[in-house]
Amino acid sequence: MTYVFFPGCSLDSTAKDYYLSTLAVARALKLDLPELPDWTCCGSTPAHQSSELLSLALPAKDLLAASGNTVAVACAACYSRLKTANHSITSDASVRGEVADVLGADYDGSTPVKHLLEIIRDDLGYAALAKRVTKPLKGLRVAAYYGCLLVRPPEVTCFDDPENPRVLDDVLEAVGAETLDWPHKTECCGASYSITNPEIVWLLSREVLAMASDAGADCIATACPLCQLNLDMRQRDIEARYGERFGLPVLYFTQLLGIAFGLAPSELGLRRLMVDARPLLAKKGLLAESATAAVAR
Amino acid sequence: MIPTAERPLRVASIGDFAREVEVESGAKLPACLQCAKCTSGCAVAARADIKPHEMVRLVQLGARDEVLSSRMIWECTSCETCATRCPQGVSVAAMIDALRRLSLAAGKTNARTDVPTFNGIFLATVKQTGRVYEVGLMAAFKLRTRSFARDVGKVPAMLFKRKLALLPSFVKGRGERQRLFRRAGR
Repeated sequence: MTYVFFPGCSLDSTAKDYYLSTLAVARALKLDLPELPDWTCCGSTPAHQSSELLSLALPAKDLLAASGNTVAVACAACYSRLKTANHSITSDASVRGEVADVLGADYDGSTPVKHLLEIIRDDLGYAALAKRVTKPLKGLRVAAYYGCLLVRPPEVTCFDDPENPRVLDDVLEAVGAETLDWPHKTECCGASYSITNPEIVWLLSREVLAMASDAGADCIATACPLCQLNLDMRQRDIEARYGERFGLPVLYFTQLLGIAFGLAPSELGLRRLMVDARPLLAKKGLLAESATAAVAR
Repeated sequence: MIPTAERPLRVASIGDFAREVEVESGAKLPACLQCAKCTSGCAVAARADIKPHEMVRLVQLGARDEVLSSRMIWECTSCETCATRCPQGVSVAAMIDALRRLSLAAGKTNARTDVPTFNGIFLATVKQTGRVYEVGLMAAFKLRTRSFARDVGKVPAMLFKRKLALLPSFVKGRGERQRLFRRAGR
Protein backbone atom coordinates (compact mmCIF):
# COMPACT_ATOMS: atom_id res chain seq x y z
CA MET A 1 0.00 0.00 0.00
CA THR A 2 1.28 3.47 -0.84
CA TYR A 3 0.48 6.50 1.27
CA VAL A 4 0.49 10.23 0.81
CA PHE A 5 0.75 12.26 3.98
CA PHE A 6 -1.76 15.04 4.68
CA PRO A 7 -0.26 17.01 7.60
CA GLY A 8 -2.86 19.78 7.84
CA CYS A 9 -2.38 23.37 9.03
CA SER A 10 -1.81 22.68 12.74
CA LEU A 11 1.15 20.41 12.00
CA ASP A 12 2.66 23.33 10.10
CA SER A 13 2.64 25.51 13.22
CA THR A 14 1.32 24.85 16.75
CA ALA A 15 1.76 21.11 16.31
CA LYS A 16 5.17 21.17 14.64
CA ASP A 17 6.27 18.63 17.27
CA TYR A 18 3.55 16.23 16.04
CA TYR A 19 4.85 16.72 12.49
CA LEU A 20 8.49 16.11 13.44
CA SER A 21 7.76 13.08 15.61
CA THR A 22 5.41 11.54 13.01
CA LEU A 23 8.08 11.69 10.33
CA ALA A 24 10.82 10.48 12.70
CA VAL A 25 8.73 7.49 13.78
CA ALA A 26 7.75 6.73 10.18
CA ARG A 27 11.43 6.69 9.19
CA ALA A 28 12.21 4.34 12.08
CA LEU A 29 9.42 2.03 10.93
CA LYS A 30 10.45 2.29 7.27
CA LEU A 31 7.03 3.71 6.48
CA ASP A 32 7.21 5.92 3.42
CA LEU A 33 5.11 9.08 3.95
CA PRO A 34 5.63 11.53 1.07
CA GLU A 35 3.65 14.73 1.60
CA LEU A 36 0.66 15.42 -0.66
CA PRO A 37 1.96 18.27 -2.85
CA ASP A 38 0.17 21.64 -2.53
CA TRP A 39 -2.45 20.36 -0.11
CA THR A 40 -5.16 22.80 0.94
CA CYS A 41 -6.71 23.29 4.40
CA CYS A 42 -9.58 20.85 5.07
CA GLY A 43 -11.82 23.77 6.13
CA SER A 44 -12.00 22.46 9.69
CA THR A 45 -14.81 23.65 11.99
CA PRO A 46 -15.30 27.09 10.35
CA ALA A 47 -16.24 25.49 7.02
CA HIS A 48 -18.83 23.05 8.33
CA GLN A 49 -20.36 25.73 10.54
CA SER A 50 -20.67 28.10 7.58
CA SER A 51 -21.31 26.13 4.38
CA GLU A 52 -21.84 22.41 4.03
CA LEU A 53 -20.87 22.46 0.36
CA LEU A 54 -17.57 24.24 1.05
CA SER A 55 -16.88 21.83 3.94
CA LEU A 56 -17.13 18.91 1.49
CA ALA A 57 -15.46 20.53 -1.53
CA LEU A 58 -12.24 21.51 0.30
CA PRO A 59 -11.41 17.94 1.46
CA ALA A 60 -12.61 16.54 -1.88
CA LYS A 61 -10.03 18.70 -3.66
CA ASP A 62 -7.24 17.11 -1.62
CA LEU A 63 -8.66 13.60 -1.88
CA LEU A 64 -8.88 13.91 -5.65
CA ALA A 65 -5.27 15.13 -5.77
CA ALA A 66 -4.16 11.99 -3.90
CA SER A 67 -4.94 10.04 -7.11
CA GLY A 68 -6.01 6.84 -5.43
CA ASN A 69 -3.19 6.57 -2.88
CA THR A 70 -4.19 6.11 0.74
CA VAL A 71 -4.23 9.47 2.50
CA ALA A 72 -2.39 9.18 5.82
CA VAL A 73 -3.60 11.72 8.40
CA ALA A 74 -2.21 12.70 11.80
CA CYS A 75 -4.69 15.43 12.83
CA ALA A 76 -8.01 14.16 14.18
CA ALA A 77 -9.89 17.19 12.84
CA CYS A 78 -8.54 16.79 9.28
CA TYR A 79 -9.27 13.08 9.55
CA SER A 80 -12.87 13.82 10.49
CA ARG A 81 -13.38 16.29 7.62
CA LEU A 82 -11.80 13.98 5.01
CA LYS A 83 -13.83 10.98 6.18
CA THR A 84 -17.03 13.05 6.29
CA ALA A 85 -16.48 14.20 2.70
CA ASN A 86 -16.04 10.60 1.54
CA HIS A 87 -19.11 9.50 3.49
CA SER A 88 -21.39 12.27 2.19
CA ILE A 89 -20.20 11.96 -1.41
CA THR A 90 -20.58 8.16 -1.55
CA SER A 91 -23.95 8.06 0.20
CA ASP A 92 -25.73 10.78 -1.80
CA ALA A 93 -25.43 11.13 -5.59
CA SER A 94 -26.82 14.67 -5.54
CA VAL A 95 -24.11 15.74 -3.07
CA ARG A 96 -21.50 14.18 -5.35
CA GLY A 97 -22.92 16.22 -8.23
CA GLU A 98 -22.91 19.49 -6.28
CA VAL A 99 -19.32 18.93 -5.11
CA ALA A 100 -18.31 18.18 -8.72
CA ASP A 101 -19.83 21.50 -9.82
CA VAL A 102 -17.83 23.38 -7.20
CA LEU A 103 -14.58 21.48 -7.88
CA GLY A 104 -14.93 21.50 -11.64
CA ALA A 105 -14.13 17.75 -11.55
CA ASP A 106 -15.98 14.65 -10.42
CA TYR A 107 -14.72 12.96 -7.25
CA ASP A 108 -16.34 9.61 -6.42
CA GLY A 109 -15.43 9.50 -2.72
CA SER A 110 -13.20 6.42 -3.03
CA THR A 111 -9.78 7.69 -1.88
CA PRO A 112 -8.97 5.73 1.30
CA VAL A 113 -8.28 7.85 4.40
CA LYS A 114 -6.41 6.39 7.36
CA HIS A 115 -5.23 7.84 10.63
CA LEU A 116 -1.66 6.95 11.67
CA LEU A 117 -3.09 4.79 14.47
CA GLU A 118 -5.11 2.78 11.94
CA ILE A 119 -2.04 2.37 9.73
CA ILE A 120 -0.14 0.95 12.70
CA ARG A 121 -3.00 -1.32 13.78
CA ASP A 122 -4.18 -2.54 10.37
CA ASP A 123 -1.20 -2.30 8.02
CA LEU A 124 2.02 -2.48 10.05
CA GLY A 125 0.84 -4.49 13.05
CA TYR A 126 1.81 -4.04 16.70
CA ALA A 127 4.64 -6.59 16.34
CA ALA A 128 6.44 -4.16 14.01
CA LEU A 129 6.43 -1.58 16.83
CA ALA A 130 7.65 -4.02 19.47
CA LYS A 131 10.52 -5.09 17.21
CA ARG A 132 11.83 -1.51 16.98
CA VAL A 133 11.78 -0.80 20.74
CA THR A 134 15.11 -0.08 22.39
CA LYS A 135 13.80 1.70 25.50
CA PRO A 136 10.51 0.12 26.64
CA LEU A 137 8.28 2.71 28.36
CA LYS A 138 8.29 0.54 31.45
CA GLY A 139 6.70 2.07 34.53
CA LEU A 140 5.22 4.98 32.57
CA ARG A 141 1.52 5.32 33.41
CA VAL A 142 -0.21 6.88 30.42
CA ALA A 143 -3.80 8.06 30.06
CA ALA A 144 -4.65 7.41 26.40
CA TYR A 145 -6.88 10.28 25.34
CA TYR A 146 -8.83 9.92 22.08
CA GLY A 147 -11.09 12.97 22.19
CA CYS A 148 -14.04 13.26 19.82
CA LEU A 149 -13.24 13.34 16.17
CA LEU A 150 -11.43 10.04 15.71
CA VAL A 151 -14.23 7.98 17.21
CA ARG A 152 -17.39 9.94 16.35
CA PRO A 153 -19.64 9.72 14.49
CA PRO A 154 -18.78 6.00 14.31
CA GLU A 155 -20.67 5.37 11.05
CA VAL A 156 -18.44 7.97 9.39
CA THR A 157 -15.04 7.29 10.95
CA CYS A 158 -15.33 3.48 11.52
CA PHE A 159 -12.28 3.96 13.75
CA ASP A 160 -12.83 1.97 16.93
CA ASP A 161 -15.43 1.42 19.66
CA PRO A 162 -16.85 4.96 20.17
CA GLU A 163 -17.35 4.52 23.93
CA ASN A 164 -14.24 2.56 24.86
CA PRO A 165 -11.65 2.69 22.06
CA ARG A 166 -8.50 0.58 22.43
CA VAL A 167 -6.16 1.32 19.54
CA LEU A 168 -4.12 4.05 21.23
CA ASP A 169 -3.88 1.95 24.41
CA ASP A 170 -2.73 -1.05 22.37
CA VAL A 171 -0.11 0.99 20.50
CA LEU A 172 1.33 2.34 23.78
CA GLU A 173 1.26 -1.07 25.43
CA ALA A 174 3.11 -2.54 22.44
CA VAL A 175 6.06 -0.30 23.36
CA GLY A 176 5.92 -1.14 27.05
CA ALA A 177 3.80 1.64 28.58
CA GLU A 178 1.14 0.99 31.19
CA THR A 179 -2.20 2.44 30.03
CA LEU A 180 -4.97 3.36 32.41
CA ASP A 181 -8.60 2.45 32.68
CA TRP A 182 -10.15 5.90 32.98
CA PRO A 183 -13.53 7.39 32.12
CA HIS A 184 -12.61 10.42 30.00
CA LYS A 185 -11.00 8.72 26.98
CA THR A 186 -13.53 10.21 24.58
CA GLU A 187 -14.81 13.29 26.42
CA CYS A 188 -14.46 16.64 24.65
CA CYS A 189 -11.63 19.09 25.47
CA GLY A 190 -13.53 22.13 24.17
CA ALA A 191 -11.92 21.83 20.78
CA SER A 192 -12.07 24.79 18.45
CA TYR A 193 -13.35 27.21 21.11
CA SER A 194 -9.76 27.59 22.27
CA ILE A 195 -9.62 31.12 20.84
CA THR A 196 -13.25 32.22 20.61
CA ASN A 197 -14.61 30.95 23.94
CA PRO A 198 -11.77 29.76 26.22
CA GLU A 199 -14.19 29.45 29.15
CA ILE A 200 -15.60 26.30 27.56
CA VAL A 201 -12.08 24.94 27.09
CA TRP A 202 -11.14 25.66 30.71
CA LEU A 203 -14.22 23.85 31.92
CA LEU A 204 -13.94 20.76 29.72
CA SER A 205 -10.17 20.38 29.64
CA ARG A 206 -10.09 20.67 33.42
CA GLU A 207 -12.37 17.63 33.66
CA VAL A 208 -10.03 15.63 31.42
CA LEU A 209 -6.91 16.68 33.34
CA ALA A 210 -8.55 15.98 36.72
CA MET A 211 -9.76 12.54 35.65
CA ALA A 212 -6.34 11.57 34.26
CA SER A 213 -4.69 12.84 37.42
CA ASP A 214 -7.11 10.96 39.69
CA ALA A 215 -6.50 7.77 37.70
CA GLY A 216 -2.80 8.09 38.58
CA ALA A 217 -1.47 9.15 35.17
CA ASP A 218 2.14 10.30 34.77
CA CYS A 219 1.20 11.88 31.45
CA ILE A 220 -1.51 12.03 28.77
CA ALA A 221 -1.08 10.75 25.21
CA THR A 222 -3.05 12.39 22.39
CA ALA A 223 -3.50 11.90 18.66
CA CYS A 224 -5.03 15.33 17.98
CA PRO A 225 -3.35 18.78 17.78
CA LEU A 226 -6.39 20.57 19.23
CA CYS A 227 -6.64 18.25 22.23
CA GLN A 228 -2.90 18.60 22.82
CA LEU A 229 -3.03 22.40 22.58
CA ASN A 230 -5.97 22.72 24.95
CA LEU A 231 -4.65 20.32 27.58
CA ASP A 232 -1.04 21.52 27.39
CA MET A 233 -1.09 25.25 26.60
CA ARG A 234 -4.19 25.95 28.71
CA GLN A 235 -3.08 23.81 31.65
CA ARG A 236 -1.51 26.66 33.59
CA ASP A 237 -4.61 28.87 33.11
CA ILE A 238 -6.77 26.01 34.32
CA GLU A 239 -4.60 25.40 37.38
CA ALA A 240 -4.74 29.09 38.27
CA ARG A 241 -8.47 29.35 37.67
CA TYR A 242 -9.47 26.30 39.70
CA GLY A 243 -6.70 26.41 42.29
CA GLU A 244 -5.48 22.94 41.39
CA ARG A 245 -2.11 21.54 40.41
CA PHE A 246 -1.83 18.92 37.68
CA GLY A 247 1.62 19.33 36.11
CA LEU A 248 0.68 16.65 33.59
CA PRO A 249 2.78 16.50 30.41
CA VAL A 250 0.59 16.01 27.33
CA LEU A 251 2.50 14.24 24.57
CA TYR A 252 1.65 13.16 21.07
CA PHE A 253 1.65 9.36 20.89
CA THR A 254 4.30 9.66 18.17
CA GLN A 255 6.62 11.37 20.66
CA LEU A 256 6.17 8.46 23.07
CA LEU A 257 6.83 5.95 20.28
CA GLY A 258 9.98 7.88 19.34
CA ILE A 259 11.23 7.74 22.91
CA ALA A 260 10.64 3.98 23.02
CA PHE A 261 12.55 3.68 19.74
CA GLY A 262 15.49 5.53 21.32
CA LEU A 263 15.20 8.58 19.03
CA ALA A 264 16.72 11.87 20.17
CA PRO A 265 14.39 14.37 21.95
CA SER A 266 15.29 16.96 19.30
CA GLU A 267 13.93 14.71 16.53
CA LEU A 268 10.65 14.53 18.43
CA GLY A 269 10.22 18.24 19.19
CA LEU A 270 10.07 17.50 22.92
CA ARG A 271 11.19 20.98 23.96
CA ARG A 272 8.13 22.48 22.31
CA LEU A 273 5.76 21.11 24.95
CA MET A 274 4.51 23.81 27.33
CA VAL A 275 4.38 21.40 30.30
CA ASP A 276 7.90 19.99 30.03
CA ALA A 277 7.89 16.19 29.73
CA ARG A 278 11.67 15.81 30.06
CA PRO A 279 11.88 15.76 33.89
CA LEU A 280 9.29 12.93 33.96
CA LEU A 281 11.07 10.99 31.22
CA ALA A 282 14.44 11.49 32.92
CA LYS A 283 13.01 10.26 36.22
CA LYS A 284 11.76 7.10 34.50
CA GLY A 285 15.15 6.60 32.85
CA LEU A 286 13.70 7.13 29.39
CA LEU A 287 15.93 9.92 28.10
CA ALA A 288 19.38 9.46 26.63
CA GLU A 289 22.09 10.33 29.23
CA SER A 290 23.12 13.55 27.48
CA ALA A 291 19.51 14.73 27.44
CA THR A 292 19.04 13.77 31.10
CA ALA A 293 22.07 15.83 32.03
CA ALA A 294 20.64 18.79 30.12
CA VAL A 295 17.41 18.57 32.14
CA ALA A 296 19.38 18.44 35.40
CA ARG A 297 21.19 21.68 34.42
CA MET B 1 -44.41 28.65 25.34
CA ILE B 2 -46.90 27.22 22.83
CA PRO B 3 -49.90 25.78 24.72
CA THR B 4 -50.59 22.16 23.85
CA ALA B 5 -54.31 22.83 23.53
CA GLU B 6 -53.71 25.23 20.67
CA ARG B 7 -51.14 23.16 18.84
CA PRO B 8 -51.32 19.45 19.70
CA LEU B 9 -48.18 17.40 19.15
CA ARG B 10 -48.23 15.90 15.69
CA VAL B 11 -44.67 15.12 14.85
CA ALA B 12 -45.69 13.00 11.86
CA SER B 13 -46.59 16.12 9.89
CA ILE B 14 -43.93 18.68 10.55
CA GLY B 15 -44.01 22.36 9.84
CA ASP B 16 -42.04 24.47 7.39
CA PHE B 17 -39.19 25.35 9.72
CA ALA B 18 -38.68 21.77 10.88
CA ARG B 19 -38.68 20.65 7.24
CA GLU B 20 -36.12 23.34 6.35
CA VAL B 21 -33.85 22.14 9.18
CA GLU B 22 -34.33 18.51 8.12
CA VAL B 23 -33.32 19.28 4.55
CA GLU B 24 -30.30 21.33 5.60
CA SER B 25 -29.11 18.76 8.17
CA GLY B 26 -30.38 15.36 7.08
CA ALA B 27 -31.38 14.72 10.72
CA LYS B 28 -34.56 12.65 11.18
CA LEU B 29 -36.22 15.04 13.61
CA PRO B 30 -39.69 13.40 13.83
CA ALA B 31 -38.05 10.27 15.29
CA CYS B 32 -37.07 12.06 18.51
CA LEU B 33 -38.64 10.53 21.64
CA GLN B 34 -37.54 13.32 24.02
CA CYS B 35 -35.62 10.78 26.11
CA ALA B 36 -32.89 13.43 26.67
CA LYS B 37 -30.03 10.98 26.30
CA CYS B 38 -28.39 13.62 24.06
CA THR B 39 -28.54 16.16 26.86
CA SER B 40 -27.25 13.67 29.46
CA GLY B 41 -24.00 13.19 27.54
CA CYS B 42 -23.65 16.75 26.24
CA ALA B 43 -20.38 18.44 27.21
CA VAL B 44 -21.93 21.91 27.44
CA ALA B 45 -25.57 21.21 28.41
CA ALA B 46 -25.01 22.46 31.97
CA ARG B 47 -24.37 26.00 30.69
CA ALA B 48 -26.72 25.92 27.70
CA ASP B 49 -29.62 28.35 27.22
CA ILE B 50 -31.40 25.63 25.23
CA LYS B 51 -30.41 22.01 25.89
CA PRO B 52 -30.07 19.57 22.97
CA HIS B 53 -33.37 17.69 23.45
CA GLU B 54 -35.17 21.00 23.97
CA MET B 55 -33.61 22.28 20.77
CA VAL B 56 -35.07 19.36 18.81
CA ARG B 57 -38.50 20.01 20.30
CA LEU B 58 -38.39 23.74 19.60
CA VAL B 59 -37.44 23.05 15.98
CA GLN B 60 -40.36 20.61 15.68
CA LEU B 61 -42.66 23.30 17.07
CA GLY B 62 -41.35 25.90 14.66
CA ALA B 63 -39.80 28.23 17.26
CA ARG B 64 -37.52 29.68 14.58
CA ASP B 65 -36.27 32.87 16.24
CA GLU B 66 -35.59 31.34 19.68
CA VAL B 67 -33.52 28.59 18.13
CA LEU B 68 -31.61 30.64 15.54
CA SER B 69 -30.65 33.34 18.02
CA SER B 70 -29.73 30.95 20.84
CA ARG B 71 -26.33 30.96 22.50
CA MET B 72 -26.22 27.15 22.45
CA ILE B 73 -25.71 26.77 18.71
CA TRP B 74 -22.40 28.66 19.11
CA GLU B 75 -21.36 26.81 22.28
CA CYS B 76 -21.95 23.26 21.01
CA THR B 77 -18.46 21.78 20.48
CA SER B 78 -19.59 19.40 17.68
CA CYS B 79 -18.27 16.50 19.77
CA GLU B 80 -21.01 14.29 18.24
CA THR B 81 -21.73 12.44 21.50
CA CYS B 82 -25.47 13.24 21.16
CA ALA B 83 -25.69 11.77 17.66
CA THR B 84 -23.61 8.72 18.61
CA ARG B 85 -25.81 7.84 21.59
CA CYS B 86 -29.29 8.71 20.25
CA PRO B 87 -31.40 5.52 20.37
CA GLN B 88 -33.50 6.84 17.49
CA GLY B 89 -30.59 7.75 15.23
CA VAL B 90 -31.33 11.48 15.26
CA SER B 91 -28.19 13.41 14.38
CA VAL B 92 -28.60 16.24 16.85
CA ALA B 93 -25.09 17.53 16.08
CA ALA B 94 -25.91 17.79 12.36
CA MET B 95 -29.11 19.63 13.30
CA ILE B 96 -27.15 22.16 15.37
CA ASP B 97 -24.64 22.61 12.56
CA ALA B 98 -27.53 23.31 10.16
CA LEU B 99 -29.02 25.79 12.66
CA ARG B 100 -25.73 27.70 12.68
CA ARG B 101 -25.81 28.05 8.91
CA LEU B 102 -29.49 29.06 8.93
CA SER B 103 -28.78 31.52 11.74
CA LEU B 104 -26.00 33.15 9.70
CA ALA B 105 -28.18 33.29 6.60
CA ALA B 106 -31.05 34.86 8.56
CA GLY B 107 -28.76 37.35 10.32
CA LYS B 108 -29.99 36.10 13.70
CA THR B 109 -26.71 35.17 15.37
CA ASN B 110 -26.57 35.66 19.13
CA ALA B 111 -24.83 38.92 20.05
CA ARG B 112 -22.64 37.21 22.66
CA THR B 113 -20.70 34.98 20.29
CA ASP B 114 -17.46 35.76 18.44
CA VAL B 115 -17.47 32.46 16.56
CA PRO B 116 -18.90 33.74 13.23
CA THR B 117 -16.26 36.52 13.18
CA PHE B 118 -13.51 33.96 13.76
CA ASN B 119 -14.95 31.65 11.09
CA GLY B 120 -15.09 34.47 8.56
CA ILE B 121 -11.43 35.39 9.07
CA PHE B 122 -10.41 31.72 9.01
CA LEU B 123 -12.15 31.02 5.70
CA ALA B 124 -10.91 34.24 4.09
CA THR B 125 -7.36 33.18 4.98
CA VAL B 126 -7.84 29.74 3.43
CA LYS B 127 -9.36 31.33 0.33
CA GLN B 128 -6.34 33.65 -0.05
CA THR B 129 -3.43 31.43 0.92
CA GLY B 130 -4.78 27.87 0.86
CA ARG B 131 -3.89 27.23 4.51
CA VAL B 132 -4.50 28.70 7.92
CA TYR B 133 -1.82 31.05 9.10
CA GLU B 134 -2.28 31.10 12.85
CA VAL B 135 -0.39 34.30 13.73
CA GLY B 136 -2.33 36.33 11.17
CA LEU B 137 -5.58 34.62 12.14
CA MET B 138 -5.18 35.43 15.83
CA ALA B 139 -4.07 39.01 15.18
CA ALA B 140 -7.00 39.68 12.85
CA PHE B 141 -9.46 38.06 15.27
CA LYS B 142 -8.18 40.09 18.20
CA LEU B 143 -8.37 43.30 16.17
CA ARG B 144 -11.95 42.64 15.16
CA THR B 145 -13.14 41.56 18.60
CA ARG B 146 -10.90 43.94 20.59
CA SER B 147 -9.73 41.09 22.80
CA PHE B 148 -6.01 41.87 22.82
CA ALA B 149 -5.46 41.21 26.48
CA ARG B 150 -6.72 37.65 26.33
CA ASP B 151 -3.84 35.23 25.70
CA VAL B 152 -1.29 37.91 24.91
CA GLY B 153 0.82 36.53 27.75
CA LYS B 154 1.19 33.28 25.84
CA VAL B 155 2.78 34.73 22.73
CA PRO B 156 6.42 34.97 23.99
CA ALA B 157 6.39 31.36 25.24
CA MET B 158 4.74 30.14 22.03
CA LEU B 159 7.35 31.92 19.95
CA PHE B 160 10.12 30.56 22.15
CA LYS B 161 8.74 27.05 21.79
CA ARG B 162 8.44 27.72 18.04
CA LYS B 163 4.78 26.90 18.18
CA LEU B 164 3.86 29.85 15.97
CA ALA B 165 5.19 29.99 12.44
CA LEU B 166 6.44 33.49 11.69
CA LEU B 167 5.60 33.49 8.01
CA PRO B 168 2.45 32.38 6.22
CA SER B 169 2.64 29.69 3.58
CA PHE B 170 1.07 30.23 0.19
CA VAL B 171 -0.22 27.26 -1.72
CA LYS B 172 -0.26 27.61 -5.48
CA GLY B 173 -3.51 27.50 -7.44
CA ARG B 174 -5.01 30.66 -6.00
CA GLY B 175 -7.29 31.33 -8.96
CA GLU B 176 -8.67 27.81 -8.88
CA ARG B 177 -9.17 28.06 -5.12
CA GLN B 178 -11.05 31.32 -5.38
CA ARG B 179 -13.31 29.80 -8.05
CA LEU B 180 -14.01 26.90 -5.69
CA PHE B 181 -15.01 29.28 -2.89
CA ARG B 182 -17.12 31.40 -5.24
CA ARG B 183 -18.99 28.39 -6.63
CA ALA B 184 -19.62 27.23 -3.06
CA GLY B 185 -21.25 30.61 -2.43
CA ARG B 186 -18.41 32.17 -0.42
